[in-house]
Amino acid sequence: MIGKLMKKEWQEFLKTGKFYALIFVFLFFSILSPITAKFMPDVIKGLSQGITIVIPPPTWKDAFSQFFKNLNQIIFLVVVLLFLGSIAEEKNRGTASLIVSKGVNRRKWVIAKFLFQFILITLLLIVSFFLCFYYSIILFPDTMIDLPLSGTILFLIYIFFVLSLTIFSSSIGKDLLQAGGIFVTVFVMFNILSILPKVKDYNPMTLSSIESQWLMSGINWDTAVKPISSTILISLVLIYLGALHFHKQELE
Amino acid sequence: MSVIKAEGLCKYFGNKKAIDGLNLEVPEGVVFGYLGPNGAGKTTTIRLLLNLARPTKGDAYVLGANIRKDRSYLKKVGYLPDVPNFYNFFTAREFLGFIADITEVEDSKKRIEETLELVALRDEKKRIGTYSRGMKQRLGLAQALLSDPPLLILDEPTSSLDPQGRKEILDLVSSFKGKKTVFFSTHILNDVERICDRVAIIKEGKVLLEDTIDNLKKRYSSHLFLIDVDKPEDLAKKIKGLPWVKSISRRNKREIIIDSSDILLAQKFIPYIILKENLLLYRWEILEPSLEDIFIEVTSQ
Repeated sequence: MIGKLMKKEWQEFLKTGKFYALIFVFLFFSILSPITAKFMPDVIKGLSQGITIVIPPPTWKDAFSQFFKNLNQIIFLVVVLLFLGSIAEEKNRGTASLIVSKGVNRRKWVIAKFLFQFILITLLLIVSFFLCFYYSIILFPDTMIDLPLSGTILFLIYIFFVLSLTIFSSSIGKDLLQAGGIFVTVFVMFNILSILPKVKDYNPMTLSSIESQWLMSGINWDTAVKPISSTILISLVLIYLGALHFHKQELE
Repeated sequence: MSVIKAEGLCKYFGNKKAIDGLNLEVPEGVVFGYLGPNGAGKTTTIRLLLNLARPTKGDAYVLGANIRKDRSYLKKVGYLPDVPNFYNFFTAREFLGFIADITEVEDSKKRIEETLELVALRDEKKRIGTYSRGMKQRLGLAQALLSDPPLLILDEPTSSLDPQGRKEILDLVSSFKGKKTVFFSTHILNDVERICDRVAIIKEGKVLLEDTIDNLKKRYSSHLFLIDVDKPEDLAKKIKGLPWVKSISRRNKREIIIDSSDILLAQKFIPYIILKENLLLYRWEILEPSLEDIFIEVTSQ
């Protein structure tokens, strides 16, 4: 049943053009990141009009630093906007009640949506990473693979959390607006919690700062064990709570 | 065997009692009209039966399954919502393909073509988003019928359809008599009168009456008389104010309609008065009320 429900999600993504929007954003920024890193110093120098600006020569680390920045900002935003309404909008439109009135298991429906989203993002992320790596090698022949690959794995775990939070918000909210409100509230809460030193090590938000740290000073899995394990645990709890709430929720 | 059975079913939203101790039995193979004014609790009843909402109190059984404990019966129910909304990016054929997938319809391609043929959408290639209300209603019926369920729950299926669309839907529903059980919620009395075998009238979350349409007409017809006399005003003057006369109304120049609270007294006294006043009687008829008359009478009590 989960496979059949995921097939519908895929058809929806193709037919509504969401897939093309997503693939464009992923590919565009994965190509743009190394190009920006390589040529931005020249652009800045060209615009300086006589003022001497000393910019260190760009390296492949700048390319991936730019890549992670784009992932954490623009791609994060696009992913959230595309997936936040996945359940809430169906509830609002009435298609959710039509489907569950056919005896479709509600928990499976939520899990199918999450799995589809996670698999899609994982595939796009793999393609993006290798595209960024390919252009980096062309522009910076000394590009290494282990550091950026590890950072990308960390981002994948982080996006696992983000997607679980969107599915949780979408399961609880009655429409896109409510789902958005829940998402922002929980997301801000995690950001505030990351200030507290004791909680910081267990906070999913820490993962994005570790990506940059690793890029600059090398991989240290010991620093990531706590945030990775707690992020996976928190994400699974969020999916479980979302599915549980939707299972009991009254639909219009 | 009852296909739907509700026992003291209640649904409260805070202090508002949307359904209040509902008792209902829908026998197998009938087209069952579920009538009520707007806000009576028709859609809430359907939401409870389909497990889209949870009862506050009471029990209900659909196809023998307790709706509180078991959701498996939903696979045997076809449901048409009052405002059908689908995935607008699909064509009708693609949408039915998805429904066939999740309801595990056997030989789905053949069944989809048969169902599209039945609702006259077989040649339709456009996306659902471009459909008119009538086409969506027909597609709604198609998805409800696709798995050939023994029970159809139709929530106001003809509201906002043009006369031709209404006729098509009603003819189709009527053709299921004896083959499927149809629970037909509506406030359009003509539709019920045309196709339903049994009817329940609901108001403020309670069933006010439930019976066959023939029985209802018999039950409610006995107190209305049409009398055609040469001087109806004289007859009206003589019987006005008698304890068994509830109201007198004029239909045309010679005919009056008398609403009586006691049929036996009316049958004894009116001929006597006609004779005594030397009136000429042309016609005496016990009127059969329309479902609308019954509905108004029952819901205004």
